[in-house]
Amino acid sequence: MIELRHINKEFVVKKQQVQALQDVSLTINDGDIFGIIGFSGAGKSTLLRMVNALETPTSGDVFIDGVNINALSHNELRQVRKGIGMVFQSFNLLNSKTVYDNIAIPLRLNKVDQTTIDKRVKELLEFVNLPDKANAYPTQLSGGQKQRVGIARALATNPSILLCDEATSALDPETTEAILALLKRINQEFNITVLVVTHEIQVIKEICNRVAVMEHGRVVETGTVLDVFSHPTEAMTKRFVQTVIPERIPDSIVANLQADTRHYELIKVRFLGDTVTKHVIYEINRTLAVETNIIFASVNQLQDSALGIFILQVVGDEATIQSVKEFISQNGLEWEVVKV
Amino acid sequence: MMPDLGVPNEQIILAAQETLYMVFVSLIIGSIIGLILAVILVLTNKDGILRNDYVFVVINTIVNIIRSVPFIILMVFILPLTKLLVGTRIGTTAALVPLVIFIAPYLTRLFENSLLDVDKGIIEAAQAMGASHFEIVWNFILPEAKASLILSVTTGTIGLIGATAMAGAIGAGGVGDLALTYGYERLNFPLMLFTVIILVIFVQIIQSIGNHFAFKMRNH
Repeated sequence: MIELRHINKEFVVKKQQVQALQDVSLTINDGDIFGIIGFSGAGKSTLLRMVNALETPTSGDVFIDGVNINALSHNELRQVRKGIGMVFQSFNLLNSKTVYDNIAIPLRLNKVDQTTIDKRVKELLEFVNLPDKANAYPTQLSGGQKQRVGIARALATNPSILLCDEATSALDPETTEAILALLKRINQEFNITVLVVTHEIQVIKEICNRVAVMEHGRVVETGTVLDVFSHPTEAMTKRFVQTVIPERIPDSIVANLQADTRHYELIKVRFLGDTVTKHVIYEINRTLAVETNIIFASVNQLQDSALGIFILQVVGDEATIQSVKEFISQNGLEWEVVKV
Repeated sequence: MMPDLGVPNEQIILAAQETLYMVFVSLIIGSIIGLILAVILVLTNKDGILRNDYVFVVINTIVNIIRSVPFIILMVFILPLTKLLVGTRIGTTAALVPLVIFIAPYLTRLFENSLLDVDKGIIEAAQAMGASHFEIVWNFILPEAKASLILSVTTGTIGLIGATAMAGAIGAGGVGDLALTYGYERLNFPLMLFTVIILVIFVQIIQSIGNHFAFKMRNH
């Protein structure tokens, strides 16, 4: 378990004091794929670097499995770091060494014998699907291949935590998908806690189970991905979530609605999990005798669940619309009235 | 055959040997000192992993001071030290002392630049792996800087060849000395031209070797 308690970090940049992190507290459980999202400058990378003490807090403490890592000596800290793998946006591979030697480095630092190194490197190359690249140099690889090497290197010493600092930000969408799938496999097969920093909400949506949203050095929202994506409360979170889970009525339809002189209301209904498959709309039309038009609909896969968002135009008098709202509530769905 | 250069061939060969001797001995000692100082400078600078303003400023200042003294003055200035170290003030071996003191700070600067060129991300990755300070230098910074370090040594070597010519002032011998005493002072133009050609060949060979290895390292 990783616990960040009341972390503050101040930098002095050009004699100006900058508050990079303000009272950040987070708990990351074993086995989580925890995402930290925010725009650049939000402090997310600084926060990630607190976990392996590449950055030290101005105040506050970082606990890993109950150990306050900021209170450790340099040598004790080095031992803790050996149990934490790290993957970087710019890969940070040694261009002077082959893929094999890059992956072997952490093992050599641990004075592992050559036979074991040989076995482990082959195993890792197999795992990241680069079995024939052992003798290639990083400059001969594509971005995605470099990141696979970076991941293999980070996994070499069997860490219990993997830190990913914008690991997919330098990659094209297709390669990003593949790397994300790899991270998910790592989490599932080796039960490694993965901490992902990103500015791409797609990354969070694809692999994370929990998320923290950061803005100006603060965590503004945190929770399970399902919760945060279905109920974003902060403006910042809404902006991020809307890019992957759209809920905006297309402009042409807005124009039609504005021209519609009948009495109607727009009701946005959220379906979560198996409620998506409930026949609520069918029942409304059948039993309540109102006209309901689906103005907008999206259904998104979120981890093992689904999030559906429907915007209904309900045409009818005040009382009928009220009974529709009640019916939706009775079925355990959330709704809200939206205006165009 | 060779034109008459006014000096015996053996003398020219001896001069070439003396130049090579001075260049390589002072290069080896100077490189070791230069590399150690460059590593210390890089580790202790304000972005370094062992930031230490005191150590950095002291070494940095010493390097700057020595670098600003013209070699001919440096040579005369440290004569007592030369006497103390090698027991004599003149001759080829005596010239090694000022040559080392001249080249070490020069190489320190060149090496420092080579080491600073190593991507900060590599050092960060090393730290994240739990590498010790020594391991960071030995397993990460030096291998990554290798090609650039080789080019720095090449540049330093060529600088040294120039400096050995001036070492003739304390009777160091060598090709440069030959050119000055027998060529320039006796107005022996063919000899002067010949020695210059020898020096040009030396420089070309060294630069080619340096480029070759640096290229090989960068392009596998």
